[in-house]
Amino acid sequence: MTVLTLAKALNEGLRAAMDADPKVLVMGEDVGKLGGVFRVTDGLQKDFGEDRVIDTPLAESGIIGTAIGLALRGYRPVCEIQFDGFVFPAADQIITQLAKMPLRSLGKLKLPVVVRIPCGGGIGAVEHHSESPEAYFTHTAGLRVVACSNPVDAYTMIQDAVRCDDPIVFFEPKRRYWDKADVELGAPGLPLGKAKVVRSGNDVTLLAYGPMVKTCLESAAVAEEDGRSVEVIDLRSLSPLDMGVIAESVNRTGRCVVVHEAPVFTGLGGELAARISETCFFRLESPVIRVGGFSTPYPPSRLEEHYLPDLDRVLDAVDRVLAY
Amino acid sequence: MVVVIEERVLGLTPVADADLGRMLRIRHFERALLRLFERGQLNGTTHTCLGQEHVPVAVSGLLDPDDYVFSNHRGHGHFLARHDQPDALLAEIMGRAGAVCNGVGGSQHVYHGRFLSTGVQGESLPVAVGVALRLKRVTPGRLACAYIGDGTWGEGSVYEALNMAQLWRAPLLVVVEHNGIAQSTPTTAQLSGSIAGRAAGFGIPHHRIESVDVNVIRAELEPLVTLARTESRPVVAEIAVHRAGPHSKGDDTRTPAELVAAAQGDWQPRYAEAFPAQFARLDEEQRASIGRIVDDVLIRPASVWERS
Ligand SMILES: Cc1ncc(C[n+]2csc(CCOP(=O)(O)OP(=O)(O)O)c2C)c(N)n1
Repeated sequence: MTVLTLAKALNEGLRAAMDADPKVLVMGEDVGKLGGVFRVTDGLQKDFGEDRVIDTPLAESGIIGTAIGLALRGYRPVCEIQFDGFVFPAADQIITQLAKMPLRSLGKLKLPVVVRIPCGGGIGAVEHHSESPEAYFTHTAGLRVVACSNPVDAYTMIQDAVRCDDPIVFFEPKRRYWDKADVELGAPGLPLGKAKVVRSGNDVTLLAYGPMVKTCLESAAVAEEDGRSVEVIDLRSLSPLDMGVIAESVNRTGRCVVVHEAPVFTGLGGELAARISETCFFRLESPVIRVGGFSTPYPPSRLEEHYLPDLDRVLDAVDRVLAY
Repeated sequence: MVVVIEERVLGLTPVADADLGRMLRIRHFERALLRLFERGQLNGTTHTCLGQEHVPVAVSGLLDPDDYVFSNHRGHGHFLARHDQPDALLAEIMGRAGAVCNGVGGSQHVYHGRFLSTGVQGESLPVAVGVALRLKRVTPGRLACAYIGDGTWGEGSVYEALNMAQLWRAPLLVVVEHNGIAQSTPTTAQLSGSIAGRAAGFGIPHHRIESVDVNVIRAELEPLVTLARTESRPVVAEIAVHRAGPHSKGDDTRTPAELVAAAQGDWQPRYAEAFPAQFARLDEEQRASIGRIVDDVLIRPASVWERS
């Protein structure tokens, strides 16, 4: 076991993936010498060379487009988008080419491209540096969208993502980059598409992913002091959804709260609530309640504590579903 | 006579008090920000324009109040060279009462009169073309000025904008602050050809300025600005500068030798040496003034978001 931060776990995962397969490339703005803004690619250029760890110009559309071309000819590029808000110049390539080519060719073309995006707020930064754009991508057929929440998953999920033949948007919870955990290097993890029950309980199911998993675990611990048994599920895969694990839990608890940082309006919580009402209707004791951000641009740092879901807002939602 | 010798040695001419005052105001403002970060009184992202203060001061001297200015992530100097409101900008960055836009925009998204900034590289240029076209129709002779870095020439939107600007004859002044680096990546590792060549590809007049002397920069800029105004067309002014500070905070990857070169290219110590009396007087004035502003803004209440 080695104690690693989430950022370092990703770094070790990328290192293992590059060791395992010479076709794996890393590319993005300042990923080489700087090792990326969050140092996720720290040292990789030194160890694997400039041909495999490529500092690109400031050109998000070009980065993803080039990665698609490289992938068409057998490479497995891992692209870093520096911050969530800078993925939009690349949205065209991701949505109209990366997602669609494999579908259009009925799977004959494989595009094993991983688009890594640090996401979410909580680091005191402003718009473009604190956003949660996952719903734009889950709405796009043909993409796998995943989010890691802790160092152990980060280490295995990034390797699984690189090995996977599908295009993947890989969200990394920015404010959890410095969280530490024991990671067993070389050990496999839960498959990429699987959700995970990270805390068992019987009264309410909390569904979360990325940065909000920790918030939900903390909320569940506090709820327990009040005699409430709260189950927490880390979705891990946002598209496709692992409905088996979700439905099993909600059918048992009868109550569900979805928590994400992204605005509630047409966020992933809406899809989850709908799917749960379709699958668990006869077992539900209350409506599914969503806790999330507001329909505003991400506010400057001074206001982010009002924007981001916290213990109070999650516990309040737990109270509300239990009040039915 | 003394001045003449120093001019020869250092290649600098004396700058008007008003200009030097603004350059030093920007310098002290940016230094104050970094200090506030160090003390934990400010957080988030900020990009200071240390070493580049003279560019917006030179440019602003040629701008009309009706011209529009589009700024980027490194925009405090662009704002302060045009608007004598350091307290309002600091309040904006800190989210305190009296902020330029109620603390909603922060460091990178300032909207004030005819000033607009965005932190997303390349995003502003097409918008500037649109504004320039409107100016051309309604107030001929006015222009839109957009500041961008050399690294931003990697973004595709820059070329869509230049094409349309030239096609439709938009009075657009693109000021390229060429500091030779984008975050950690040197220009040589990310720009093929040259900015001159790229402008030429669209038939857009381009001029590169090497000087750090505000008077020289202004004199060399003037014909370009006049061309944009009188012939209504886009022009590109590329100004060589040095980034004297980190990209953001504590993230400088340059070698000690590169840092020495950047420091040597900084206008400030050179000017201080060339014109010590004027420099000392205005430096002290601005240091004290920014110090007072910081003290004042720090004790202000939080800004209030109100729709107008
Ligand atoms: C579309 C986009 N991608 C990435 C970034 C992150 N970023 C902020 S500044 C910067 C470097 C900009 O370099 P340059 O244009 O040369 O300006 P300088 O910072 O040197 O003033 C980068 C990559 C961004 N702001 N926008």
